Amino acid sequence: MHRRGGGAEAIAKKKLAEAKYKERGTVLAEDQIAQMSKQLETFKTNLEEFASKHKQEIRKNSQFRVQFQEMCATIGVDPLASGKGFWSEMLGVGDFYYELGVQIIEVCLALKHRNGGLITLDELHHRVLKGRGKFAQDVSQDDLVRAIKKLKAMGNGFGMIPVGGSYLVQSVPAELNMDHTVVLQLAEKKGYVTVSEIRDSLKWERERASHVLDHLLKEGLAWLDSQAAGEPQYWLPALFSELLSRDVTPEEANQMTP
Amino acid sequence: MSFEWPWQYNFPPFFTLQPNVDTRQKQLAAWCSLVLSFCRQSKLFTLDVLEAQESAVFNNNRIHRKLSVEAIQVVFEELRKKGNLEWLDKNKSRCLIMWRRPEEWGKLIHQWVSKNGMVNLVFTLYELSNGDDTEKEGIKYFMFPCYIALYQQNGNASLQNYNFTVKATVR
Repeated sequence: MHRRGGGAEAIAKKKLAEAKYKERGTVLAEDQIAQMSKQLETFKTNLEEFASKHKQEIRKNSQFRVQFQEMCATIGVDPLASGKGFWSEMLGVGDFYYELGVQIIEVCLALKHRNGGLITLDELHHRVLKGRGKFAQDVSQDDLVRAIKKLKAMGNGFGMIPVGGSYLVQSVPAELNMDHTVVLQLAEKKGYVTVSEIRDSLKWERERASHVLDHLLKEGLAWLDSQAAGEPQYWLPALFSELLSRDVTPEEANQMTP
Repeated sequence: MSFEWPWQYNFPPFFTLQPNVDTRQKQLAAWCSLVLSFCRQSKLFTLDVLEAQESAVFNNNRIHRKLSVEAIQVVFEELRKKGNLEWLDKNKSRCLIMWRRPEEWGKLIHQWVSKNGMVNLVFTLYELSNGDDTEKEGIKYFMFPCYIALYQQNGNASLQNYNFTVKATVR
């Protein structure tokens, strides 16, 4: 008869082997981690080199900027992190978005008396570009969105409401909940909305619809039109197409209450 | 030169008196501004309320909206409070529109008089109102307020015999 390895011995051997494998596994994992860290460091260094080499490009080209941002995101780097550090100092990327944030605030303040603090991303983009002039750096809507997110994080009362494939940018701390947002989205198509439209589209009761519309009136975001055929219409200056890119005249500026 | 309407003119709710107080304030400010600009451009110094109600200022046919009679009265009252309007009759059917307030007219007259080097000159309204400057046309409607304004600025103006004569002394 063939002599197998004795029961106890076999088990012990097996255990030892397992232990060794485990150790090896641990060692391997540590190894891997060390390697990955090193790779990450190298990657980060390369990214920094890349960034400094292409600093001009990053400042000038918005598409380049998007890709650069995405690269940073994959390795968990936020080039817009405020404060000192390689990114903000070396690249001036932080400056770019900081300045853009200031510009955005200026535009929103200048138009607040008209639209109550709500503006479409399109109009904001148009006016920011206009303010920068012909020879300034290109600014994309992606840039605006990032800058606004920064502003929001700093607690400036900024918010973005998705409507019709784009956004409405809110620059005043008006309380807008889901109900308000959804009605804004409904109003985006024609620039106005009615109680019936809300009831038909959203299947709400009359009272709920009226409540939301009253709130929009109260926040100065909507105006009432009682001469519309059928029922009153609630118009939002922010969505009034004829108003887009219409400059503030000196007369209009004079009407603004301090 | 055609009149440039402000953006609000084509905004349908502009013709509905707004229920929200803050929005209404903005609305009335815009209406006052519009009425004054329109009158300035058209060189209108008086308004007949019934006529005004039918004019393009308060009626936008393109968007089928018009300001109601009550709302027009609110706008006029606002203009009066700001010193740009004065009723010419008790029934409030006709008013003076002062797209330049009396003080401003007074200043203009004073400047005109100083520039032309007139001292101790008594000139009749006829001269004033038929001068080169078309703005002087408006002066005939502002006799009393102008006198007051001139007096306040100059300390020395007199109205004689209601003969539409202004004596301006420039120091």
